[in-house]
Amino acid sequence: MENVSRRHFLTATAGLAGILATGVPPARAQQRQISYLAWNNFAPASDKKLAEIGQRFTKDTGIKIRIDHIAAPQQAAKYASEVQTQAGHDLVEMRMHFPWLYEPQLLDVSDLAAEMEKKYGAAMPSAKDTAFVKGTWRAVPQYHAVFMAAYREDLFKKGGLKTPDTWEDLYVVGKELKKMGHPIGIPISQNYDSISTAGPVLWAFGGMEIDKDGKTVRINSAATEQMVEWYKKVYRDCMEPEVLSWTDASNNESLQQGKAGWIHNPVSAYIVARNNKMPTADVINHHRSLAGPSGQRHDTDAPRHIGIWKFSKNAEPAKEWIRYLLGKKEVYDEYIMSGDAFNLPVYANMQDHPVLKTDPKFAPLKQEGVQLHCYGWPAPASDKVQLITNSFILPNMLAKAVTGTSTKESVAWADNEMKKIIAG
Amino acid sequence: MAVGARVVPIAPPSLRTRVSALLDRDGILGPIFVSPAVLLLLILVAYPFCMALYFSMSNAFIGRPSHFIGLKNFINLWQSDAFRQTFQNAFVFTGAAVAVKLVLGISLALLLSEQLWFKRAIRGAILLPWVIPTALSTLGWWWMFNSLYSVVNWTGIATGLMDPPGPNWLGQKYYAMTAVVVVNIWRGLPFFAITILAGLVSIPKELYEAAEADGAGPVARFWLITLPLLKPVLTIVILFSTIFTFSEFNIIYVLTHGGPINSTHLFATLSRQIGLESGRIGEGAAISLYLFPVLMMVVYAQLKLVRKEVY
Repeated sequence: MENVSRRHFLTATAGLAGILATGVPPARAQQRQISYLAWNNFAPASDKKLAEIGQRFTKDTGIKIRIDHIAAPQQAAKYASEVQTQAGHDLVEMRMHFPWLYEPQLLDVSDLAAEMEKKYGAAMPSAKDTAFVKGTWRAVPQYHAVFMAAYREDLFKKGGLKTPDTWEDLYVVGKELKKMGHPIGIPISQNYDSISTAGPVLWAFGGMEIDKDGKTVRINSAATEQMVEWYKKVYRDCMEPEVLSWTDASNNESLQQGKAGWIHNPVSAYIVARNNKMPTADVINHHRSLAGPSGQRHDTDAPRHIGIWKFSKNAEPAKEWIRYLLGKKEVYDEYIMSGDAFNLPVYANMQDHPVLKTDPKFAPLKQEGVQLHCYGWPAPASDKVQLITNSFILPNMLAKAVTGTSTKESVAWADNEMKKIIAG
Repeated sequence: MAVGARVVPIAPPSLRTRVSALLDRDGILGPIFVSPAVLLLLILVAYPFCMALYFSMSNAFIGRPSHFIGLKNFINLWQSDAFRQTFQNAFVFTGAAVAVKLVLGISLALLLSEQLWFKRAIRGAILLPWVIPTALSTLGWWWMFNSLYSVVNWTGIATGLMDPPGPNWLGQKYYAMTAVVVVNIWRGLPFFAITILAGLVSIPKELYEAAEADGAGPVARFWLITLPLLKPVLTIVILFSTIFTFSEFNIIYVLTHGGPINSTHLFATLSRQIGLESGRIGEGAAISLYLFPVLMMVVYAQLKLVRKEVY
């Protein structure tokens, strides 16, 4: 072993002490490195593409990036622990109203959002509502997923059933589908898909959770009672009790495995079946969202954004990643294409994206005549809306009603729970 | 001639000698040996506990400044349906699981104490549910109870014991509670069986021989010798199991996520949902600490009972 001189030893230990004291490594040793936490995308190919783009980003910029993935139901808890410990990833994927929930902890990224809007046009209303918090962009809109109907075209033909146009039509065909051994698959459990369907049904019946003022709870209404009654009869006559224990993936799996005859979901159920060459892929198709008694059609729009934690020590390299992934048109296009129309572009000038033409079964994604909203509509985006979402009040109200609690009692329970959140 | 005493200067003891002398004193050496463990306890137990205590008495919300609000969280929790349901669930779940584990544990231990072929292999195999990571084994159970792929229902239907489609194990509240209790029993049974077996082995054989000579049958031997002598072991096993079962998290989180309609939530899972997923850290901490005083009293009472019986 080489002898270490006293001078060398002193220099090395003093340098080390300096690094430890300041927490900053010397410039020559500083490796620009960032970490990004994203969810396990329901279009798995886009996660692979993200990793590939990450490698190219490192090659092109010299900034190392580590991309981690987490299941959607665990995102909120993971983010909470990162915020509490003020440590973790630099960049985080934010769904729906998360930027409102974590607003004090997110960096102002208005400069990046402005760059994107200048290049691609304005961000879609749902994306802006959820990421533009009190006049500041707290996350950069990334993409959005749209809910619609996915159904077994072959079964409809076999049973001589007409593609439904209203939620009431769905009840009629649902009864037949159940008799054929292929029930409807709408989850009524503590997951996001349950809310993504309950919301549009509620809106179609003319109901709402919170009023436009964002303060008045409006769930206790005749419209909600009608919606609950609809759920009760659909649960009884068109579905099986399994929907009470479903996860976000269960409705997809039920359709892919050949059991469900109709589900309410983005295109992910179909694209996974198609990409994995499942036998059901050929017989699954989509149609636009259903109308309520007044003819109004609403559906869930789930925007996703990228945010940077304020505690990140790598804000500038983190911004570079967002510029690389979303700001370079060819990279953004490549990323969108990899998601097979599950990850739809979120800016105005990109709405006619080529990804929509890659498969004729994506045509209903245009959702003509359908109003798309985030959870909580028509209330303005807020942390309270996200709290109501995370507390699963809508699915629990429905689960109570379909398992024996009276409609009035179930709705009153939801009213009470929502009022507590709004007041708190 | 008187010669004055010559004072020979004594060299002060060296540092090494002084340290050695100090280390020879029990009052110093003991605390030194114990201090790493105390330090670990302070960092890993006392600090998180104090933080949880503080959070439970504050209006802490993720990433925002918090204020002290006293016992408000604990009082307000009673207004929550979900919490009242959870409170009930915790007692039903713990009561049912511990009772069945106790009965089955004693039976299994008695069986294992007999002369069996492949005794060691069987004892090892019985420990498997205890050593497999709970989240993994529970995933296996999730598949078995899953409404689409349930092997339990498939077997039941194939053997004519169930009508198609079979019970909705995780979607209906009584079935869901049954499912989580079953998995908890499956996982906790080895702990009961092996610990009770250790207690059984330590009972002197002479007692059984004497009882047998006096004409005592197997049932009398069990009630009059085995059970009384197992009491200290059983007390400790029940104590530990009660605490572990009350604070169960993995099984509920993986199998039902607390559903349907909160019917399987326990304090740990509800605390996670409220504290981390909904961001209300103060309320979440209050939920997790709610039973702390009660459990402390149970621990105190049971340990006192054991000491009384032992000494």
